[in-house]
Amino acid sequence: MIAIKTKKLTKKFKDKVAVNEIDLNIKRGEIFALLGVNGAGKTTTIKMLSGLILPTSGEIIIEDMNMKKDVFKIKEILNVSPQETAVAPNLTVKENLEFMAGVYQIKDKEKKINELIKQFKLNDVLNKKAKTLSGGWQRKVSVAISLINDPKILFLDEPTLGLDVIARKELWKIINSLKGKITIILTTHYMEEAERLSDRIGIMANGSLIDVGTSEELIKKAKTKNFEDAFVSIATWGELK
Amino acid sequence: MRMINFAKRNFKELIRDPLSLIFEIVLPLFLLFIFQQFNIPADNYRLENFTPSIILFGFSFITLFTATLIAKDRTSSLLIRLGTSPMKSSDYILGYILSLLPIVLIQNDLFFLTAIIMGLEFTISIIPTILVSVIISIFFISLGILIGSLVSEKGTGGLGSIVVQLVCFTSGMYFPIEAMGGVFEAICKALPFEACLNIIQGTLHNDFNNLTLVHIIVFLFYFVAVILLSIIIFKKRMISDNK
Repeated sequence: MIAIKTKKLTKKFKDKVAVNEIDLNIKRGEIFALLGVNGAGKTTTIKMLSGLILPTSGEIIIEDMNMKKDVFKIKEILNVSPQETAVAPNLTVKENLEFMAGVYQIKDKEKKINELIKQFKLNDVLNKKAKTLSGGWQRKVSVAISLINDPKILFLDEPTLGLDVIARKELWKIINSLKGKITIILTTHYMEEAERLSDRIGIMANGSLIDVGTSEELIKKAKTKNFEDAFVSIATWGELK
Repeated sequence: MRMINFAKRNFKELIRDPLSLIFEIVLPLFLLFIFQQFNIPADNYRLENFTPSIILFGFSFITLFTATLIAKDRTSSLLIRLGTSPMKSSDYILGYILSLLPIVLIQNDLFFLTAIIMGLEFTISIIPTILVSVIISIFFISLGILIGSLVSEKGTGGLGSIVVQLVCFTSGMYFPIEAMGGVFEAICKALPFEACLNIIQGTLHNDFNNLTLVHIIVFLFYFVAVILLSIIIFKKRMISDNK
């Protein structure tokens, strides 16, 4: 079953083509990593898939709904953890969770909030204002918030950026536990992260999706020893190996 | 209701910023108190005239802090997150407006309470004055939404201060603008602040002799134009900020 399908998805900013005719087919429950160097078009793609910006042309189908016609229905079933931490600074961690539960009109919000507090071990910072937390904690809270509506589709834009190694491993564990339950689209600059977490990986360069496959398939295709080398080779069209 | 939920969040953000409370409530209260101690022999400074002036002065800070809140929200990723949620534009705009109304009511109550303690006669017309002030405050909140949508957080300080100065010098709060005459008077008449003050004062005095048709037309023009512009620009910036 396909959760996300795009047909010739394109975004132009004046003359610059940020995303160029991307065709994606992401299966339900799959973790799909979107990799690329800075400016490759990953974040623009995620913004279009999450309904934040409109495509210049092309089509987006999410869970059998068309983004053009059913944008608000689609927004009910997805969530995003943006690249920069997205929390209300003067609200405590608990209030941030309550606020976002209100945004998604969660019925049993106390139950859901307690579940996230336990899952992300937020007890120690629960009553602290978000702006007083370290960057790592803010990111953790930001990712926790993105699960408040039990999304069917979750976009994680650089979720472990700024996290220390232990926090990163903890978050990997949480993301892995979601495998099969939620369709996750992940962008990251950490090759190890993409390799460990994702079922398939899409590599973008200059706005185009230039290759898709499992890490093993991409290593084999690029004829390299490891995934990092495979990524470099594919993203530079073989110029760097 | 998403809009109420958003308004609650905005209200918490605003009241937890001590500077916002100092400028919106404490400073106007201080001015109200201190000017009465000088016994200035001019009509503008009589309690029944100066209390409405202080209400308007407080609103200019509402504009400043609304603009700052929105500019801050725009630069943080919070609006990106909210932009991917099922919230609609009306939820944002009404959420911002609703969050400021309790502060407007607190301002009005405290200003009138202080004025009554200092000798303002309590009349029933205080109640409609507060209601009229709430309507006028929507203009000032919308002006804040407009400024916050147009410029960065740093820019809101500059533009917000201009609004504060315009209220002080073009509303007739400190001196009758007719006394200045000429171009200055014409500018004051073309701006909405004198009209706002005359409406509030007229309601409090239950005497609308100073309120002309021009005042009403000027106020209604700015009221509608600023609300419409704030909605259009905010919606546009929500999209362009996310490019």
